[in-house]
Amino acid sequence: MSDELPELDPVIHAQARLRVVAALSALAEGDRLSFPRLQEILRMTAGNLSVHLRKLEDAGYVEITKTFSGRSPTTLVCLTRRGRLAFEDYTAAVRRLLEPPDDH
Amino acid sequence: MEMDDERPPANPAESLRLIEQERAAAERGLGAHPLAFFGPWGVAWLAGFGLIFLRFGPDGRVFVSMPPWLPVLGLFALLLGAGVVSGYLAGRAFRHIRGQSSAQGAMYGLSWLLAFLGMGTTLPRFAGHLPEAEAGLLFGSVAVGLTGALHLAGSAIWRDRSLFALGAWIIVINILGTAAGPGWHSLIVSVAGGGGMLLLGVVISFRQRRRR
Repeated sequence: MSDELPELDPVIHAQARLRVVAALSALAEGDRLSFPRLQEILRMTAGNLSVHLRKLEDAGYVEITKTFSGRSPTTLVCLTRRGRLAFEDYTAAVRRLLEPPDDH
Repeated sequence: MEMDDERPPANPAESLRLIEQERAAAERGLGAHPLAFFGPWGVAWLAGFGLIFLRFGPDGRVFVSMPPWLPVLGLFALLLGAGVVSGYLAGRAFRHIRGQSSAQGAMYGLSWLLAFLGMGTTLPRFAGHLPEAEAGLLFGSVAVGLTGALHLAGSAIWRDRSLFALGAWIIVINILGTAAGPGWHSLIVSVAGGGGMLLLGVVISFRQRRRR
């Protein structure tokens, strides 16, 4: 298996979505983050972030919920279990690519 | 940047760099500034217990003469102020997050309130039987010890090593201060406890900034 190059998840293997998923992975499990704060952390425009979140949602990697805080509508974002797993697999695959193969 | 959005990272090292960069940015953007917590509490301990020491020194010495209620009131006011300020800052920092950690934070905050409510209502029964200096030390040592224990519990909840170190440090200086006796306890808690919190806050801030 050491000679095989690990395949990288095409959903995450794009700069913008990798950044989104990495930032969301810092959230504790069971927590949701507001859209504006995520936007601040990633320094992305709202439109751009929405596009990538929708793609991640379509892949089942993030969950987007709309709720109210007081009277103002809030959008909350979190990684799904599947998304967290995909991110962990991606990170592990990238690490494996960086390590020199030592066990053949 | 927007044009490159769909492009994969140039190489695996670049992927890893992006991951680490955004995780660090998120960790900074999600929590409160370390000094939002250690700042107010450190100042309250340093000044509050410092005041107590100046009025109720070792062997009944009075370094600065003032009515006995004044330093006690000062300490309470400073602690209350620290609670309000750090509570406000924590609420502001975490208002962007919903879910499990809100419940954790609320229960942890209530634990502090209940623990000190229990202490405040049970200790006076014993304090009445003690000489004034020993009664003061009873309150001081139980309150500080409780603080240490709650910090240790917090470290277990958030798996935070610096909180664990602070809790253990507070337990140790409380034991040493109590052994040294009335007056000394206040001085040690003021300098080593309050000063220690401020130092820890500064060290953590610098460490976070270096990761940027």
